[in-house]
Amino acid sequence: MERYLTKNFGKPNAIAMAGYLKHGGYRALRKVLKKMEPKDVVEEVKDSGLRGRGGAGFPTGLKWSFMPQETDGPKYIACNADESEPGTFKDREFLEKEPQMMIEGLIISAYAMGVNTCYIYIRGEYATQTKILQQALAEAYEKKFLGRNILGSGFDCDIYVHRGAGAYICGEETGLMESIEGKKGQPRKKPPFPANFGLWGRPTTVNNVETFAQVPHIINKGASWFRGIGTEKSTGNTIFGVSGHVNKPGAYELPLGYGLKDLIYKDAGGIRNGRELKAVIPGGSSVKVLPADRIDVPLDHDSLTNAGSSLGTGAVIVMDDTTCMVRVGVVLAHFYRHESCGQCTNCREGSAWLHQLMVGIENGQGKIEDLDLLMDVADSLEGSSICALADAAAWPVQGLVTHFRDEFEEHIKTGKCTSPDSFRI
Amino acid sequence: MPTFTLDGKELTVEQGTTVLKAALANGVQIPHFCFHPHLSVDGSCRMCQVEVEKMPKLAISCDTLVADGMVVKTTSEKVLKARNAVMEYLLLNHPLDCPICDQAGECGLQEYNFKHGNTHSRFSEEKRPGRKRFEIGPRVVFDEERCIFCRRCVRFCNEVSQTGELAVFSRGDKSVLDTYPGKPLDNRYSLNTVDICPVGALTSTDFRFKVRVWFLEQTDSVCPGCSNNCSIHIDHRKGKIQRLRPRENLKVNQAWMCDAGRELYKQTGSDNRLTAPRVLAEGQSTEVTWEEAFAAAAKGLARFENDHIAAIGSAGATNEECYIFHKLITNVVGTTQLDLISPLWEADELLIKEEQSANPQGARELGLTVNRKSFVSGLMRAIEKEKLKALYLVGSEILGDPDTRDGILKTLAKLEFLLVQDTHATDLTAIAHVTFPALTFAEKEGTFTNIHGIVQRLNPAVPPVGQSKPDLEIFGGLAEAMGKPFDTVEPKKVMDELAQCIEPFRGISYDTLGDAGHCIGSSNGL
Repeated sequence: MERYLTKNFGKPNAIAMAGYLKHGGYRALRKVLKKMEPKDVVEEVKDSGLRGRGGAGFPTGLKWSFMPQETDGPKYIACNADESEPGTFKDREFLEKEPQMMIEGLIISAYAMGVNTCYIYIRGEYATQTKILQQALAEAYEKKFLGRNILGSGFDCDIYVHRGAGAYICGEETGLMESIEGKKGQPRKKPPFPANFGLWGRPTTVNNVETFAQVPHIINKGASWFRGIGTEKSTGNTIFGVSGHVNKPGAYELPLGYGLKDLIYKDAGGIRNGRELKAVIPGGSSVKVLPADRIDVPLDHDSLTNAGSSLGTGAVIVMDDTTCMVRVGVVLAHFYRHESCGQCTNCREGSAWLHQLMVGIENGQGKIEDLDLLMDVADSLEGSSICALADAAAWPVQGLVTHFRDEFEEHIKTGKCTSPDSFRI
Repeated sequence: MPTFTLDGKELTVEQGTTVLKAALANGVQIPHFCFHPHLSVDGSCRMCQVEVEKMPKLAISCDTLVADGMVVKTTSEKVLKARNAVMEYLLLNHPLDCPICDQAGECGLQEYNFKHGNTHSRFSEEKRPGRKRFEIGPRVVFDEERCIFCRRCVRFCNEVSQTGELAVFSRGDKSVLDTYPGKPLDNRYSLNTVDICPVGALTSTDFRFKVRVWFLEQTDSVCPGCSNNCSIHIDHRKGKIQRLRPRENLKVNQAWMCDAGRELYKQTGSDNRLTAPRVLAEGQSTEVTWEEAFAAAAKGLARFENDHIAAIGSAGATNEECYIFHKLITNVVGTTQLDLISPLWEADELLIKEEQSANPQGARELGLTVNRKSFVSGLMRAIEKEKLKALYLVGSEILGDPDTRDGILKTLAKLEFLLVQDTHATDLTAIAHVTFPALTFAEKEGTFTNIHGIVQRLNPAVPPVGQSKPDLEIFGGLAEAMGKPFDTVEPKKVMDELAQCIEPFRGISYDTLGDAGHCIGSSNGL
């Protein structure tokens, strides 16, 4: 298995321009500017089957093709570096260890869509990463990979860094755009879609850090090479972020379709202290939990959807048998309650109610009917709001109550926790 | 024009119509909170969700455009369940204090819960506390616990008044409606937020707790507060006006009115109304009968040469009153010294017009002059030189300017005969030789012509105070006492008469005016 994304991570100087160039960096940009028409770049990315790495898995080339070609004003790209989904830390790897890779991808994407102005929206907590990124951009300007008339091609491109202020919802692409515009970060209703009406009402494409980082490799090695990695509908490598009760938590670059079981037991070294696996959240905190007996599943979009969960951001959260699933419910419900922007009735009120019910159960005040109520509230949250946050609040609850109903009932009946040593935050 | 199916019925609508608007226009009631026809679409309350065939999720009908062949269901099981969920969510943290809430009876939440909600709550957690009886502005009281975050008020202040005081701060279930720091809700249109608030979160400082709304009777009329003539509802009970509210009229005021206009009902019920005609005899003001008052006025005016008499009217008079007053002064009293006064104030881009009287445009269309240059100062000089001896004043606008007020009063006191016709006791009625008590806008019939030429009807909402009479009847009584009676002073018939002889009004009659009025078109909007 070839590691093309992370192979230079941690090598001396990979973080700096010199190192990136030494490892073949910016070859793709030169190739694109000299030899490729913008539409050829879009076609190449389309052919590669690359799907967005931000969680929803939308085909990247198709998204790019929605951008109008000829416009009588500016178009924009925003790079989503607001990595905030609990369990997810793969974009941080790119930002920290080889930032030029995603910058190169971003410039190529700008060329492909005829965009001259890009924003990188980075989460406020990534302060160190912001410094690294700004240094990297300065180096790219110095080398004339950014600015006016890039490498003599006549193509201009500027990249601005915009720091978030601590709201998960600003990772939603329209919330992100509102935030860049200086407004309260809350999603816009759609339509209109960003490709027609995005930043300041102009055509805009938003992609994730990793999505951009994949682009130079596709350009250098070709779409068919990329299609050869992963599964038919989930192509290429990705960085799986494994966290929780494993011996070797960390970031693992592997092809999509890699086995979840192998990832946990081989790559991540198995469960800590030799304990038993209890449950896995395979794609970031918003996706449905899988109990231990259901983890024999490949990590690609279709397989995980069929397994009743989702690939999400590829953030694998592993829980061993000391974990109280009610506690997990409280923690996750609290997160989505706290991060709901509050515009839509169902999400604002429902996410809070889910948390209150979870807390009630944990504190021994739960009633057995609360389990049906939790499911009922979660069901009425699904698909009920402007953005997907209501779904994100609903899914963990649905997964936990469905797969661990016995444990919830036990909690309610005894008023006590069966795993009192479970993690506390 | 797309054709679609709404609850099994085929409808063809204009391109670009939303499902919600199409439904409402065709009598299908889709419940909604955040949608308001005169504000931008928000799409957040989720109450107006409907099922659209081939769409995976329910769609918010306020933001879904009708497309050809679309099949929409507004009462499917899925829709009813979703509505029920929204109602349940909105009531989780709502205090359910309807018995002491002033919105009861005209509350969207209350009404919809009867139709779409539950009779019991599954919520046993603690409700979210919030500020009660908070003065969010000088005329609006805010109850944070009742707010459902529809943000109609926020959009009103951003889009209509364009003053931007309000926003929803914080997020999630900690969201709170508030004003920006140091910027209270104090714009000239702030009370519209009370009208459009679907719940009891924003209430009017003036109106709250005065009366339960189901006791109110409603009369449609026109605001006399400036020459825009906003269409209004007069809400009253047992002969007392309780509030004025805007009535939708797209060409006149959309669905809004200004805060100043809403205050005007207070004039009608005020303590210093004139209740009986009076005559000043031997330095003593005495109540008299109307016959005695008309006789005294006729006698008073007959003593002078025509060019020793002048008249000043109010540009707040109705079209009918302007027409008859004009005839009275020129044909019966026989003077050409006549002008109407309209005070001026600060206009804006939205509704408030510079001329503060209701009907200067109508007066001009009827051939009268308004605020004629140097007219009042000329009269004052003439009085000082004893070239003008008698004056007939309708209204007290002549005292409107504080800089000239005292001088004018002093000069008017020198008149040999001063006839004053007004609604309220003023410094003028104190020195008048004869006083005629007249009616306010809320007590009489008639029409106004607004600054853009739109003629609308006033309707009496409450009975006259004491013996006060409509101005038209007063003009008629005086003309009769002077020996030259009019054919009619009945408002409807006066309109028929003037519509025959005053060109811009040709074809207008009370029967054809309708709720929105009629544009007489000759006006260039000033």
